Parts: sequence; C-alpha cells; structure tokens
Amino acid sequence: MEMALNLLLAGIVIVFFVLVLLIFIIKIYSTIVQAAQNGSQKRKDAKKAAEKKPELIKAEPQVSTAQPTATDNEAIPGEVIAAIAAAVDAMYDKPFKIKSVRRSRANSGSSWRNAGLFENTKPF
Amino acid sequence: MEILNSLWESICSIFTSSGLATLSWENYVMMCISFILLYLAIKKQYEPLLLLPIAFGMLLVNVFPGIMANPTNEMLTEAQVLARNLDPASYTTTVLDGTTYYNVGQNGGLFYYLYQGVHLGIFPPLIFLGIGAMTDFGPLIANPKSFLLGAAAQVGIFITFIGATLLGFAANEAGSIAIIGGADGPTAIFVTSKLAPNLLGPIAVAAYSYMALVPIIQPPIMKLLTTKKERSIVMQQLRPVSKIEKILFPIIVVVIIALLLPDAAPLVGMLMLGNLFKESGVVSRISNTAQNELMNIVTIFLGVTVGATATGQVFLSVSTLGIILLGLIAFCMGTACGVLFGKIMCAFTHGKVNPLIGSAGVSAVPMAARISQKVGQEENPANFLLMHAMGPNVAGVIGSAVAAGVLISQIPH
Repeated sequence: MEMALNLLLAGIVIVFFVLVLLIFIIKIYSTIVQAAQNGSQKRKDAKKAAEKKPELIKAEPQVSTAQPTATDNEAIPGEVIAAIAAAVDAMYDKPFKIKSVRRSRANSGSSWRNAGLFENTKPF
Repeated sequence: MEILNSLWESICSIFTSSGLATLSWENYVMMCISFILLYLAIKKQYEPLLLLPIAFGMLLVNVFPGIMANPTNEMLTEAQVLARNLDPASYTTTVLDGTTYYNVGQNGGLFYYLYQGVHLGIFPPLIFLGIGAMTDFGPLIANPKSFLLGAAAQVGIFITFIGATLLGFAANEAGSIAIIGGADGPTAIFVTSKLAPNLLGPIAVAAYSYMALVPIIQPPIMKLLTTKKERSIVMQQLRPVSKIEKILFPIIVVVIIALLLPDAAPLVGMLMLGNLFKESGVVSRISNTAQNELMNIVTIFLGVTVGATATGQVFLSVSTLGIILLGLIAFCMGTACGVLFGKIMCAFTHGKVNPLIGSAGVSAVPMAARISQKVGQEENPANFLLMHAMGPNVAGVIGSAVAAGVLISQIPH
C-alpha cells in the first residue's frame, strides 16, 4: 500500500512536471519563432515597399483591369477572372496586381507533365 | 472385417486429435465471446480496425490452440529419428541412462512468431509511428496549456493503481490494469508486455472495448460534472501555427521526454518520428507508408496476436472480471479528472476555457475530442470545440506515454 501511495504521488508529480516543462519550452520557442518570423516579414515588407513605392499606390486587387488583358484566344469569363483574383488574394497577404490571365494549352508540354497533371487532378 | 476395424481406428484417431475431443468448455465460451466481438466490430462498427482482428485471433486460438504454441524440443531415439526420415547427424544429442537421444526442435505455431512483435515491445511503438504521422499537434502548440488537461486525465491511472493493489493484484499487474485509464491501446499493450504479459489478453480487450465505448461512457460524466453555463462557453479561435514551430515540436518533445524518462522513449520517440515525417514535408513517401501500409500491417499482426492471448483458460477467471471493472473505473476517473481540471482552468481564466475539452485528455484520438464537440454542441449549436479539444487529446497521447514510462520505471518487473 505504501508503494501504491508513493507511485500515486510520484506519478502525478512526474507527469505534471514533464508536461508543464513542455508548456514552458513550447511557449518560449513559439515566442522566439514568431518574433523571428515577424522581424523577417517586416524587413521584407520594408524592402519591397522601398523598391516598389511608386507602383504600390495603385497596387490593389485589380480584377477589372485584369479582365481586358485576357489576350489569348477567346475571352475568359468575368467570373473566372474573379475566382482567380480571389485565389491569388487568399494566397498572398500583400497587395498585388494581376497583369494577365492566359489559357494554358491543354496539349502543350511533355507526356510526363500531362501524366502528372492527370494524376493530381484525377480525384476531382 | 479387418478393413472395417482399420477404418474405425482411423476415424477414432482423427476424432481424438480433433478440436472436438481436445477443447475444453472454456474454449467454447471464448468462441462465443469472439462471436459477440465480431458482431460488435462488423455490425456496430466499434473500433472495427482492431476489434475485428482481435476477435478473430481469439476465435482462432480457441479453435486451434496450437496456433499459439511455443517452439518445443523433442528428445527422440535414433530409431524414431530415422522413422521420420530425419538425418541424425543434424541434431545435438543428450545421453540419459545410457541411451542417446536426439534433440529435434519443433517449430511453434504461426501466431507464436507474430506475437514476438508484441512480446518484445515492437508493435506498439510502430503503431505510434503511424499515429504520429497522422497527428496534427498544431492545436497543442497554439495552446500549450492543453498539456495540463492531458496530464490531469492521467491521474485516473495512478488512483486506479491503488484500487487494484487494494483488491489484491500484484504491483506489476496493478500497473498494467491502471494504464487502461490512459485510453490508449498501444500504450496499454506496451506496458502490459513489460509488466505482466500474462494479462495481455484481458487488458487489451478491456482497453479497446472502453475506447470503443467512449461515446457511451464519457458524456454522462461530463454532464454530471459541469453546469449548463460551463458547457456553453465558446472558446477563442486558436492562432495559426507556423511550419517551423510544427517541425521543432517533435524534436523538442522527444529530447525532453527521452532525457527525463528514458522508459517512455520508445513510444514517444516513434510518435515524434512519425510526426516529423509528416511536418517536415520532405519525406512524404515515408510519411504515407507510416500512416497507411505499415500501420495497417502492424495493426493486423497486433490485433490477431493480442486476441490470440485470450485463451479460455487465461481469460475466464475472476481476475479478468476485476481487470474489466478496474479498467472501467480507471477510464471514468481519467475522464472525470480531465473535466475537473478543465473546471479549474475555467475558473482561473474567468470562463475562457470550456471544461468539456478536459475529457479529451484521455487519449482515444480523435473520438474523445469528437465527444467534447458533440456534448458542447448539444448546449450551444454554434459552439465548435473540436479543435480546442484536439489539444488535450494529443497531449493525452504524450501524457499516457509519460505515465507508462513512470509505471515501467517505478514498478519492479
């Protein structure tokens, strides 16, 4: 019985100690990683802002301006342009400008490329 | 007439060597139990991935006990060796009372060899490898306080250890029974294979049965220990976790736990290796193999061989009833401790933590987290606790592995 009580106390203390230690370590490294990532992000933003300052003034998701740039064959429907712009917006957290939207030629490229494309889009 | 006698003798010989003559009533009872488990696995779909092979292993070993037989060493005279068309020169000899005997080895049953993966503690860590490759520790990294709930839910293990000791179980058996409270099948098997291999069958069956019964066992305890207001608490959305944090997590966890508690290293190490496969993103083939093919293969071997330990003579005893009862108590205690600690966290954070996520601190991934979500939504349909409950849930996997390490290191075996 004495051993059981010892194990009860030792078990609870050790399990809590190890997991509380992990809490602290995770908090510390998360803080460091976040701080490092925020710092590098800020530096990148500042650098890009300095490089592209004149352009940024009008750099907004310009869906309407993108539509006429569908230069290739037939015109791409507005809804498709809007969906592409939304997808790009979701991927990039920063202002962007779509310069052109072109249809890809289905049969272009090698057979391996087409096989890969087929493999990845098969479930859909 | 002679031909008829010969035919009768052949029939008698076949009958006496058949299961009909050699099996005892316990085997037939176990066959019935295996039929019930097969029904639960197939019809009710209670943890079918494990319950089905366990039940079938149980059935096979009780129909044909030889499938689990140990390898033996037969001592044969030279005449007997020659009668079997064996080469006497291939065998070592023993001389007894002036007669030379040849030591002819007999292979064990199929399951004996497969069972070595359980006996030597190989399969449970491999299962953990697959679990690691399937687990997203993001919710836990986003809210590391979830570790506390994962730790609290392990308290039931140690309380049950006292109960089992009081009921007269030896310390090693009590430890194996108590780990059922961790609600983690591979951990329970790993600890039992180290501490009390003789109890492997009943403990594995009890552990997986309770994991399958999580939706029935947990909600009444959760509702009993919480108020309607607490169950309705909506928690803040978790922050997104970066890839680098997810990659660092398994490395840091394995270093800390393996340094502090080496006995937990096989389980936690493989869990974290699997997770690193997943999060690193550079070994997707290995990651896919770990969570699919390898996991499935090991699950088959683990299931059938664990089921095969449940022979009638071992399983049908008073101690099995004690194990099943104590396992249930351990599981309920773990759930209750998790919820109660959730209440404490709720009070300390001024109502920002929904205590229902505490019940997910017992492993049983992801079923326990789903139950937190379900019970929470019964009170507030717009409440989504699933991701918040996944934190304690995966913390419970780590917590139960740590508790296993404590049991293995502290209990003499």
